[in-house]
Amino acid sequence: MNTLLELPTPRQEEWRWADMAALKAAAETARRDVGIDPAGLFLDIEGPRLLFVDGRFEPAHSRPGPVQVTQQLATTDHPLGSLADGEGWSLHLGKEHAATAIQIVHIGTGGESHVPARLMLAEDAVASVVETYAGSGWANRLTTLCLERGARLMRSVRLLQDAGFVSLREEAEVGEAASLVSVFLGAGGMGSRIDGALLVNGKGGFAEMGGALLTSGSQKQEAAVAVRHENVEGTSRQLWRAVAADKSAASLAARVEVARGAQQTDGEQSLRGLLLQRSATVNLKPELEIFADDVKCAHGATVGELDRMALFYLQSRGIDEGRAKALLTRAFVADALARIGEDVVREAFAADADRWLDTAL
Amino acid sequence: MLKITDLRAEIDGKEILKGLNLEVNAGEVHAIMGPNGAGKSTLGYVLGGRPGYDATGGSVRFDGQDLLELEPHERAAAGLFLGFQYPVEIPGISNLQFVREALNSQRRARGEAPLSGGEFLKLARAQAEALGMDVEMLKRPVNVGFSGGEKKRNEMVQMGIIGPRLAILDETDSGLDIDALKAVGEGINRIMRAPDKAVLLITHYQRLLDYVQPDFVHVLADGRIVRSGGPELALELEREGYGAVAA
Repeated sequence: MNTLLELPTPRQEEWRWADMAALKAAAETARRDVGIDPAGLFLDIEGPRLLFVDGRFEPAHSRPGPVQVTQQLATTDHPLGSLADGEGWSLHLGKEHAATAIQIVHIGTGGESHVPARLMLAEDAVASVVETYAGSGWANRLTTLCLERGARLMRSVRLLQDAGFVSLREEAEVGEAASLVSVFLGAGGMGSRIDGALLVNGKGGFAEMGGALLTSGSQKQEAAVAVRHENVEGTSRQLWRAVAADKSAASLAARVEVARGAQQTDGEQSLRGLLLQRSATVNLKPELEIFADDVKCAHGATVGELDRMALFYLQSRGIDEGRAKALLTRAFVADALARIGEDVVREAFAADADRWLDTAL
Repeated sequence: MLKITDLRAEIDGKEILKGLNLEVNAGEVHAIMGPNGAGKSTLGYVLGGRPGYDATGGSVRFDGQDLLELEPHERAAAGLFLGFQYPVEIPGISNLQFVREALNSQRRARGEAPLSGGEFLKLARAQAEALGMDVEMLKRPVNVGFSGGEKKRNEMVQMGIIGPRLAILDETDSGLDIDALKAVGEGINRIMRAPDKAVLLITHYQRLLDYVQPDFVHVLADGRIVRSGGPELALELEREGYGAVAA
């Protein structure tokens, strides 16, 4: 496989925690029937639906509506994103158009799959996109987002593959007074790398990328996000939670760059890790790079264990230890998932996190 | 109901309880008073089963069961309630969710049917109103941003909803202003003054005892009960100090 020769290595700083061995192993697995019913992965909400199996569009299980399935070239120099050429989906929403709850389900049965996606929102357009990854193999995706003035996008992505690897590259441009909120949940058994580059280049733009990575066994998941502010009065939020059990590792790298002249930027970074066992690892790397003098950038990064006194408090009221740990862990990730705007989606993600807790604790 | 015999307990290898004897019968309110460091809070934690507070000798029978053999959540299901001196803040879990989960866990453990959302809400509202706590506070995360007095009221609301048979209340009066002290005192009487229930009040001062009249007062000093008496003993302690009475 040619693509595998070009993978980044841990010697590169941005890839030091990346589990490229797991990615390679996933890419080399043979395809086999995983017996997943796609109907169970779509949430019960109206709107366009697209199913990709091993990166191929499945019209029989889809009703794409305004979403188009086209051949696309990857226009990025990102080492994984640039591999995502071929059949993918795109949507160009015109001025003041709305498309809510576009659902995209990706099922992998083994091997590698690459899907590019492009979402352009014209002035004041509104959209929400929910994506779900299930199955196995290596799913590699490049998603390019462009939000023009006043456009709004709510993006919710859940990684539920039982095995394999999911690598996502998100590249977004956020225009004047536009708003992008994206929330990622890694609650499957796969390895992952969520890579984001958000550019806030319009005055008063809002960009948010965050979520929760839950790891167990010997799994490794990571998110590496950079937000760059190039215009005034922009706001960004990076709120990530990592929960690691057993010998797993969850890593979060978040960077805020404020360009010269991007005054009155309001950036906030909150990276928190929870170790369920001392054999687990959480890596946090918060970075700020600020070249303007009138900005507010709050940042916090902490790693800890469950509060023993809180655990005893719950137990003393009649809740058994396992359930008490599950409640406290769920509470720990709750604020990251609370950013999801639609109730049905938020509840589905919370239920995914609960299922993970039931098996990990 | 509760029979403690020659109880010994250690924290980090240091003996704190050094042969404590106490018997509490149904329908009684006992106050345990004593100077700082006497082992009052340790007694509460050992009875509640806090990890690290290990009994090293003696026995505790609760309704004929060996209490020390039970996990903390099993002690709760058996009817024991531990009121915390410093109730814990838990961001991300609402009071309602927490207490409903607690109550229904206990009910399931006792083979009773769990309460529905509606039944639970009715019970929770009634208890909050009786304690003078704004019902809206029940929707907020457990104790987060609550004042000291609000936390203690919240303990009493939880106790009212759960309806234990034996309440061990550790310094429930600390951090309370006069109004809150009165509300909490009335709460204890309303919830726990019954022929089949009992209370163990752990306190440093006499003032809560103005509202909750104890049937028995015990002085705990250096890990043992050194004197027992009626309510008059609390007044004597207040007047003469622990040094004179415990000597």
